[in-house]
Amino acid sequence: MPFFPEGIILIKSSLEKKTGCLTISVIGRFDYTCHKAFKEAFGGVTATCYEVDLSETLYLDSSALGMLLLLRDNAGGEKATVRLLSPNRTVMEVLNMANFGLLFNIVE
Amino acid sequence: MGQRLTVLVIDHLLSDAAELVDTLSQEGCKVFCPDHANEIIHPFHLEHIDLLCLNPYTQYQSGWQTIVNIKDAARLKAIPILFLCDNNDASMQESCMLEGCFDILIKPFRYRQIAFKINAVAEFRAMQKTLSTQRDEMIMHNEKVLYDHHLAKIVYENITHSNCLNDAALSHFHYGSHTFNGDVILAAYKPSGGMHVVLGDFTGQGLSAAIGALPLADIFFDWTERGFLLKQIILEVNDRLKDILPPNMFCSAAFVDINPNNDGIEIWNGGLPDLLYFSSANKLPKRFKSKNIPLGILSSDVIDYQIDHALFTPGDRLLMFSDGVHEAVDLMGRMFCDAILHPLYKGEMAVDHAVDWLIQQLQQEEILENPHDDMSCIGVRLDVNIGMEVAKRKSLPDYYEVPADFSFEYVLGADSLRSTDPLPYLLQILTTVPGLNHFSSQIFMILSELYSNALEHGVLNLSSNKKSSHDGFSQYYEERKIRLAELKMGYIKFSARVVSDTSQRLLILSVEDSGDGFDFANLNYNLSCSELLYNRGLALLNRLCSKLEFSNGGRVVTAHYQW
Repeated sequence: MPFFPEGIILIKSSLEKKTGCLTISVIGRFDYTCHKAFKEAFGGVTATCYEVDLSETLYLDSSALGMLLLLRDNAGGEKATVRLLSPNRTVMEVLNMANFGLLFNIVE
Repeated sequence: MGQRLTVLVIDHLLSDAAELVDTLSQEGCKVFCPDHANEIIHPFHLEHIDLLCLNPYTQYQSGWQTIVNIKDAARLKAIPILFLCDNNDASMQESCMLEGCFDILIKPFRYRQIAFKINAVAEFRAMQKTLSTQRDEMIMHNEKVLYDHHLAKIVYENITHSNCLNDAALSHFHYGSHTFNGDVILAAYKPSGGMHVVLGDFTGQGLSAAIGALPLADIFFDWTERGFLLKQIILEVNDRLKDILPPNMFCSAAFVDINPNNDGIEIWNGGLPDLLYFSSANKLPKRFKSKNIPLGILSSDVIDYQIDHALFTPGDRLLMFSDGVHEAVDLMGRMFCDAILHPLYKGEMAVDHAVDWLIQQLQQEEILENPHDDMSCIGVRLDVNIGMEVAKRKSLPDYYEVPADFSFEYVLGADSLRSTDPLPYLLQILTTVPGLNHFSSQIFMILSELYSNALEHGVLNLSSNKKSSHDGFSQYYEERKIRLAELKMGYIKFSARVVSDTSQRLLILSVEDSGDGFDFANLNYNLSCSELLYNRGLALLNRLCSKLEFSNGGRVVTAHYQW
């Protein structure tokens, strides 16, 4: 687990009423400590499309990959479209290693 | 509030004591006021006392000694003490505070002062009782959890440790950040010689991560022993994990199939850092990156199975590690993959010691003292004798062999050839013969050579010339995959006959294919002839079998095996 300066991990979510698109932003380290907040961000929300904004995500670990799978499952599994937005290089490497490009629409 | 408190009052000034006892009684307290020293520290009293009101100058015994005695007798139960002091004795008040008293009651007593302090003590005692009850429950709970973990760990280790990690060709390390390790390293000999090796890394750490290792290990050992191919094992593990794991859990893993029979290795990487392959021919290691989605995410009918092939020369090395190593952070805050591992990636070190070197780096960077993630690594020194000794060492049966006499035919058409691997089933039938079951590795080798020749050169019409270079080897398998997927016509027929009695023990195995046959008159069985490297399958067969015959223009091969 790499060291990053301690900071507040922040999960923000917003549901665009017109498009029905839910966007979840993860600011800071995306790891098991965000488990509850991340689940709450999409739990009970009915959306037509899902986006996870990773532009301010410093790092993600395998628990975070698991949370993304949970979101995908919740969004309809193999039929769902979940977009992962603007991952940085470190995050992209983790996504690539797990070949998540085959499961998610990664927008660089 | 005060009525729930039991108070011990110790003061040699009897009039003061009586006044205090009166007031406390009015406040609802149950009060003891001993008039003899021995009564003071009677354990029965102490167990029930919520508050001690003490004059430090008591004549019964030194006031300070009284405190020590009471605290000793009460053990963990911290009894609050109110010291009874004269208004003008500032230095005594100071000493009382230093001694850790709860509060001071100043003489002469005032009713309201006592009432307030009694209320405070009552609240303190209530809080203290809640805390100590919770603490006791936590201790009990923790002991139970530790005991459960202890039992589960034994089961876990029995299932995951029955492997051949102590083989001289392997070196490894395995550091867990919890009692249970979410990383798993398994190695098992194949019945045909050679070995399957797997390094798996389950999401998260601890018990929840380790639990998935059980079905993985179970399938891996059982299916390897029964002669299943790597692909079948991986797909079965994947489906089992997909069924049992919650959607946010999966297993990143690398599987390696070592085939000393053709000097080849197959690598499947799903989610692990690049596997490094060091050969004497190249300075830089070849990197086998993750080409697959980790196990347990998608069902096997929708996943694209991607493997890498390589040919090895004895002494080549393969190194794999989990992301706990890849992403470990050095003392300067850099990830291992960005700094420490560079000499490895650049081939600037003696790879013979790569595993030890990695351990040393983890120690130097103080990662082993406080690991944040499970870390594991396995190195394989590739050689043609891996798993071969073990196959040979299986001794002859010394019990009476039951006679056997049976035969069967098994024909696979194009549809079945595309989707089935017949070898494990055939092996299972043949190894039901008492005595022959001790030679399952030899039987598997014969079956697999005959079958792959019939399929690849017969039905699929592939030329083994392509396999003669490292690049060609991969192309060959690519071509094999394409042609097999598009196969519309063709068949392979197995005919087996077993005769086992007191006079002979013989297996006759014929494999017929629908291909064009081949010119078997010019076949070279010479093992030392490197030009015909890929006739080696047949050369080995020739040595294993008492007789090897070709007929029907090379479309039928018949092997006689005696034991």
